[in-house]
Amino acid sequence: MALADIFDKYPDRRYIMYGGKGGLGKTTFSAATAYYLAKKGKRVLVFSVDPQASLSDIFERDIFGQGNIEIMPNLFACEVDADRRVQDYQEEIRQKIISMYGMKKIPEEIESYIKASSAEPAMEESAIFDAVVDIVVKADFDYYIYDLVPLGHALYYLSMASIYDAWLDKITGLREQMREYDQAIATMQREEETTEDQIYSELVYIKERIGESSKIMTDKKKTAFFFVLTPEEMTIVDTEKAAGLFAKYDVPLAGYLVNRVINRDLLNENIPEYLRNRIQMQVGALEMIDEKFGATVHSRVPEFDSEIKGLDTIKELAEVMFEEKLS
Amino acid sequence: MEEKKQKKKRGGLIGFFRDFTYGMATHGMARHALKTRSSMEHLFILITMGDMLGIPILPPYYSLRLLPHVVPQITTWKRRMLREKDFVDSMY
Repeated sequence: MALADIFDKYPDRRYIMYGGKGGLGKTTFSAATAYYLAKKGKRVLVFSVDPQASLSDIFERDIFGQGNIEIMPNLFACEVDADRRVQDYQEEIRQKIISMYGMKKIPEEIESYIKASSAEPAMEESAIFDAVVDIVVKADFDYYIYDLVPLGHALYYLSMASIYDAWLDKITGLREQMREYDQAIATMQREEETTEDQIYSELVYIKERIGESSKIMTDKKKTAFFFVLTPEEMTIVDTEKAAGLFAKYDVPLAGYLVNRVINRDLLNENIPEYLRNRIQMQVGALEMIDEKFGATVHSRVPEFDSEIKGLDTIKELAEVMFEEKLS
Repeated sequence: MEEKKQKKKRGGLIGFFRDFTYGMATHGMARHALKTRSSMEHLFILITMGDMLGIPILPPYYSLRLLPHVVPQITTWKRRMLREKDFVDSMY
């Protein structure tokens, strides 16, 4: 099925993600999809959480850490500055402690704990996914195109989310038990009522956030996850493996897109040995792709003779991807 | 403590008997419940902030949200967790 038909057929799929190994064209495909949908009159936000994000490069504008920037009518782009987000978050915690207890300064050991937390390996992923929840819950766009960080991160987060969820259930249970004790003590000491447990409310909030963030990636109705691959044997094998892992975490796979296909007709012309070999290699790989992924391959995008950069080339790519002339 | 003072203020003979029966019947129970409650509190901090003592726990992003709420207990918690124990402890 053609890519354009997929978008027509499933209008509810509002979270679009392109996954795949680095450098295969996730960002260019994200940009082209955003362009296409924007031209169709949808409000689109394309966003990235990669610290080496390349949306700034492809749109030829510095948007890093600046919020939602309008690139053209209906098309907005956003690059989240994960580092700064972690810092802001830590500062927020400090301010909260200071205002809660009227302290002048954060106690030494608390401060060092807050500082050390940013060095923890999962801190950034969590901050990133929290940022994504922030972006998505506002719901002021028709489409959210998520220029995903390389696969490892996403998988890591999904597995973390499920463990975190179980852990939260346990400690929420403990907290509930503590609350029962509070109530018993209050009755014995004949106090009117107990104060609300703020930790309990925080736990409930955290649980909601984590649920929300993994839902964005696993909601079968609203999410479409596309794999980008190139006609090379190694990429195909890796993609297949990754697809298996993603399926395990219930990520709804919407299909595959092949990038960088060299025009096969060139074989009839007088071309250098090097190019001939590459095309022949691709022919074999494309057969392998058909065999493995068959009807779930929605688009074959040719190798362009120049880099995709700026709105003009993005438009060209979008026209090829969606097989449609755009105004 | 403050609450107890307030109750004392209510005073009167009935108040006296109320406090007296409370002291005889439920005070011990309440004390015990309070003690259990504070152990649980410490257990809770251990699970959520264990890495402060070098016990690895799950990702800290959301743990930080809880930190402000346990700040006052951190010192007593650390003291309790790091206290060395000997056989005399079990006698009490």
